[in-house]
Amino acid sequence: MDYNMEDTQNPVEAQKVAQRNDTQSVTKRLQAELMQLMLSPSPGISAFPDADGNLLAWTATITGPTETPYEGLTLKLSFKFPNDYPYSPPTVLFKTPIYHPNVDFSGRICLDILKDKWSAVYNVSSVLLSLQSLLGEPNNASPLNAQAAELWDSNQEEFKRHVLARHQDLDDE
Amino acid sequence: MSLSKPTWNHFGSHHPFPDKQNFDLYRDVPSFPFSLPAFPFAMNALSADEMERFQRLSNTYQPEVQGPAVSTKQASHSIALDYSNADPTLAAKTNALALSHPECRIMRGDGNCGWRAVAFGYFETLFALRDPLRIQTETARIKSLNALLDQIGLADHIYEIFVDATEDILKRILDAIQSGVQDESFLVDAFNEGYSSDAVITHFRLLTSAWIKLNPGRYIPFLPMPVDQYCSTRIDPVKTEIDEVGLQALIHGVIEGSGFGVEILYLDRSEGDAVTPHQLTTSCPNGATLRLLYRPGHYDILYQADSNLNVAPIVNLQYGLSSDYTSSWDSATLGFDMNSSLMAIPNLMQDSSFGMGAPMSPMPSVSPAPPSPFRMSPQQEMYQSPMQSHAPISSLPVSPHPPPPAPSSAPPPMTSLPSRTSDGPQIRLNPLVMKPNLSRSLPVTTPFKNSPYNQAHFQNSDFEPIHWEPHGR
Repeated sequence: MDYNMEDTQNPVEAQKVAQRNDTQSVTKRLQAELMQLMLSPSPGISAFPDADGNLLAWTATITGPTETPYEGLTLKLSFKFPNDYPYSPPTVLFKTPIYHPNVDFSGRICLDILKDKWSAVYNVSSVLLSLQSLLGEPNNASPLNAQAAELWDSNQEEFKRHVLARHQDLDDE
Repeated sequence: MSLSKPTWNHFGSHHPFPDKQNFDLYRDVPSFPFSLPAFPFAMNALSADEMERFQRLSNTYQPEVQGPAVSTKQASHSIALDYSNADPTLAAKTNALALSHPECRIMRGDGNCGWRAVAFGYFETLFALRDPLRIQTETARIKSLNALLDQIGLADHIYEIFVDATEDILKRILDAIQSGVQDESFLVDAFNEGYSSDAVITHFRLLTSAWIKLNPGRYIPFLPMPVDQYCSTRIDPVKTEIDEVGLQALIHGVIEGSGFGVEILYLDRSEGDAVTPHQLTTSCPNGATLRLLYRPGHYDILYQADSNLNVAPIVNLQYGLSSDYTSSWDSATLGFDMNSSLMAIPNLMQDSSFGMGAPMSPMPSVSPAPPSPFRMSPQQEMYQSPMQSHAPISSLPVSPHPPPPAPSSAPPPMTSLPSRTSDGPQIRLNPLVMKPNLSRSLPVTTPFKNSPYNQAHFQNSDFEPIHWEPHGR
């Protein structure tokens, strides 16, 4: 074993270069996504970078799908993109208070594609579409909100009552 | 392997092989009484000096040593050293590997290593061919693979940044060839930039995924789940280790079209003294082959000894030259009864079928005798043995050869000879010469420049052997 093996490289320099390229790559990618969202919007979802000019923070909205307890509700989310996006997933939070088996009361979401099943081909719109379908099909096997998971299975009407009680429209900022 | 915490533990986190990293940390402070900072009560008893030293260690402690994504070429000997205290099978195999594949390139064990090894190996092989036309062909071929991505319904604005990255690397290779760049360090650098590496790997992942989806019949029997689920959980996700099916599909879908061969050498505890090679491509028309070393959960790149040189027998001649045959050979492993009278037979060691074209000094007792009767055709002896020495040889109707004239110095009676049932090598080298503990004690494990079998130095007046250093690489 060569104990000096790790010293033969220059990780600091490599990291700097990598970071610079990453930033360019993120910007390019997010601009492309934004363009796509604006040119061919999907019904029920929208997203736009925050007003501060920082392309790494977006606000998105999804409309609750029909025939679900969330029908007609508008839910806001925040996206924070890491520097190595799309090779790491964005951090996505529900800003609108929501009662859902896979979302906790801070708005954190339990969804595999936002964690270890993230792929670089996922994007803002595919994440939003996944979340939209998660509203109608919660994954009750791994709930963040155990009560909600239980209610979903046992009493849909009571569940819906909780959803509406928790929901609170956010003002447009 | 950890998904979110890339480590420079290139054996994988759950791997039973030695990990010297943590040990190294404490190497410099052998007197330090604790190896883990898990004793808050004992810590109070430490002197200020020791506390300070503890703090210093703690400050510099890096549990996740970040190696380069793709290392520079290094001697495979370092892999053998990693295993020198491990399972004897692994030690023997890695020692043999260091001879047959003297160089390697270590991939960072961050979940992308298999993908990265194939991608880097592909580009490096392409660069090594130094054929601008070939690069253009490959660029066109890679571009044409976009059709796969279109067919599975991937939007071009999603995949084009990944395709661009691959094309950018190909262009850099073309530029390097055209401007006469000789060494591949630009490629290593490119792969150590997160951007290029991640994008190219993603591109290869997407192509592999598309290939599987478009050729499901080839892979479904090997998948534990439906194709779409397999691709979205085992192929597409970033930092997901490539598995056997994924590797096959990557080779079939992306690499094979280039005409390169791909060979995987499996290092495991299976029987044998050499790593088991697996050819993943059906044919390799132009001889360019990527070689990967697989250790459970991890891939690295290997480089074979120069294929122009003779690499067939890995034999330590010094054992063959020993004059004390009876003590240094493990008789149980020899294919014949090794009694002293047999070993005294002149010329036996010069038997051409012995198969060692290399120079051998004659045995001390050898006289320039006429052909020994014991070098007679094997058939004769084979037929002789059932006769139990009663009939004269010449009476055998099937014997094609008349009996030879008896030499003046009469050897022991023929009947004392054991039968030899084949005309293969009549003396086999003891397998012990291949054992690492023996070969390590001799300088043969550090071969002459480029190849241990290179005999060019015999004619070279300036020849100087490399001095073996126990800890060098």
